[in-house]
Amino acid sequence: MGWRTRSRLTSWLLGTLTIGFLLYQWMPIATLSLLSFSGPTGGTTFPMNGVSLHWYRELWEASIMSDFKPPLLRSALLALACSVTTTILAVTAAQAMRGRFRGHNAFFYLLLLGIMAPGLLVGFGVALTARLLGIEPAWDGTAFLVHVSWTLPFGFMTMLAIFNRFDARIEEAALTLGATRWVAFRRITLPIVLPGVIGAALFGFSLSYDEFARSLFTTGSDVTLPLAVMAQLDRQLTPELYAIGTATTVTSFVAILACTASLALIRRSMRRG
Amino acid sequence: MPEAPVLAQLDLEIRGLRKRYGGFVAVDGVSLKIAKGQFVCLLGPSGCGKTTTLRCIAGLEEPDDGDILIGGREVTGDPPWQRDIAMMFQDFALFPHMTVGKQVGFGLEMLKRPKPEITKRVTEVLRAFEIDRFADRKPASLSGGQRQRVALARAMITEPRLLLLDEPIGALDYALREAVMIELKMLQRRSGISFIWVTHDQNEAFSLGDHVVVMNHARIEQQGTPEEILQRPRSPFVAGFVQGNNVFHGNVARIAGDAALIATPFGEFAVPLRDTVPLLGAIASFSVRAERLRPMPPEPGCNHLTLTCRTIEYFGSIRRYILERGDGEVMKLDQFGAEPACLIPGEVATVGWRAEDGVLHEGAPS
Repeated sequence: MGWRTRSRLTSWLLGTLTIGFLLYQWMPIATLSLLSFSGPTGGTTFPMNGVSLHWYRELWEASIMSDFKPPLLRSALLALACSVTTTILAVTAAQAMRGRFRGHNAFFYLLLLGIMAPGLLVGFGVALTARLLGIEPAWDGTAFLVHVSWTLPFGFMTMLAIFNRFDARIEEAALTLGATRWVAFRRITLPIVLPGVIGAALFGFSLSYDEFARSLFTTGSDVTLPLAVMAQLDRQLTPELYAIGTATTVTSFVAILACTASLALIRRSMRRG
Repeated sequence: MPEAPVLAQLDLEIRGLRKRYGGFVAVDGVSLKIAKGQFVCLLGPSGCGKTTTLRCIAGLEEPDDGDILIGGREVTGDPPWQRDIAMMFQDFALFPHMTVGKQVGFGLEMLKRPKPEITKRVTEVLRAFEIDRFADRKPASLSGGQRQRVALARAMITEPRLLLLDEPIGALDYALREAVMIELKMLQRRSGISFIWVTHDQNEAFSLGDHVVVMNHARIEQQGTPEEILQRPRSPFVAGFVQGNNVFHGNVARIAGDAALIATPFGEFAVPLRDTVPLLGAIASFSVRAERLRPMPPEPGCNHLTLTCRTIEYFGSIRRYILERGDGEVMKLDQFGAEPACLIPGEVATVGWRAEDGVLHEGAPS
């Protein structure tokens, strides 16, 4: 057997493995969305007992007890705020790293601690500190801070990777052509690193949006969506939860697609005139 | 080079420039004067400080010490955007997201010129550089030669006092370089803008520069016209770095009239004295150009030594004989390419040169 034949066999094997993995990754979500379309008498497992949009209507016209709309709004706003904050801080921090300031290595590792630190404990610690300071935990206060400490390292890493490949001489060329540092950043650097900026924004949004552990102790009485879902799971499991899971996944998909599309557009505009 | 009048304004003056990075001294006391409209080449091996010097002139590096004056104005502390310069980078550093037209107009836009004026001027410049066809294209879709033109057009549109070029044709195909060099030289002459061209390629430096500055180990070794540097190298480094020199190291054995006798492992050679008379016994070096050497029987007034011909390189205009000297070094002897060969490989021959053709070095051996 020649090496080409063998490598073809290997590629089949690895291909099968990859497809298997993707199925394993997406089947639970597919099952969930399928069951969310079951009839009004449908349960939380198969068989579906008819097909309807009943549970989505239920979600929309919810009772006070199980109204997901306020937590959804909070989560979305929180995620949006996290996204904006992460983007700005990640870009500026990565830009600062390019200057190799004194202690930049320590700064790098300390910032990355946000990824390593156990979320539940970080949230608890923040809640505790807030209490000591007489601050009431709130979704738009303490929770926001904890979420940013979680999302920022991801955005920061993205920007570092992008700046690593960025040719600083392009910026220098702008300076020698009469551009001030700010103009060079705005007109030259920013457009070139824009794909990374979008990536950082995406991390900021998606990581905050479904964060549970860091929210548990920090949101106070007005909970975010993952906490509301968890509370509902404790009370009563209905396909309504499946409906909200599906709706959320679709929203995320749309967000990612929008980002991918804008990235493709940027890339195309780089290539052609 | 005609002597510049004393009062003529200099395009660039550098006094005692120093720059260090941590423990590494990149530029160590470089001083330089460039008269109006000169083509100056900074030549040297990599790491000699030529690019750092250029970046200090551009304002991209802050010198630790020294002054930089552009057009008579002190700019040492000024940022790059306040200096009357433009710079061309080795890989051109084009803006990947901007069309050719937009980036050629960038400099004028920074000067806040009115839009119609920018449009008009960009059209003119694009046409002059024969890149008007690409006005709406992005750099990624252009060839190396086209990018080079865009970079040049972008740098020259504001008509700066100085154009700084960092290995500007190093990224081009070898075949393209010669044509581009001639074009750039003519462009420099027409525009009257001083060019400061950094290169490690002596062919570039000597064929383009009105004034060549040879650098080594963060210092200027020698500066002058190409002819001065090629014919009268001041130090063993310069003699060894530029092509076509045979370098000898030895000690001063005797001073006889206006010549010094230098004792080397290959014999004693008479070399004309230069400005200063060396001390007896002092370490000394001299060089003799390959085209001054020829096979000859011993003659008075000439230096000789016996060498083995190893191989012959034929370049068309010259035929170069590589001769083994015995200390592991080789010597080069050049002959006009059109003449019949005077030595064959393996031949042991006595070669020599007229004593006045030797060039005594001034600097201590480095």
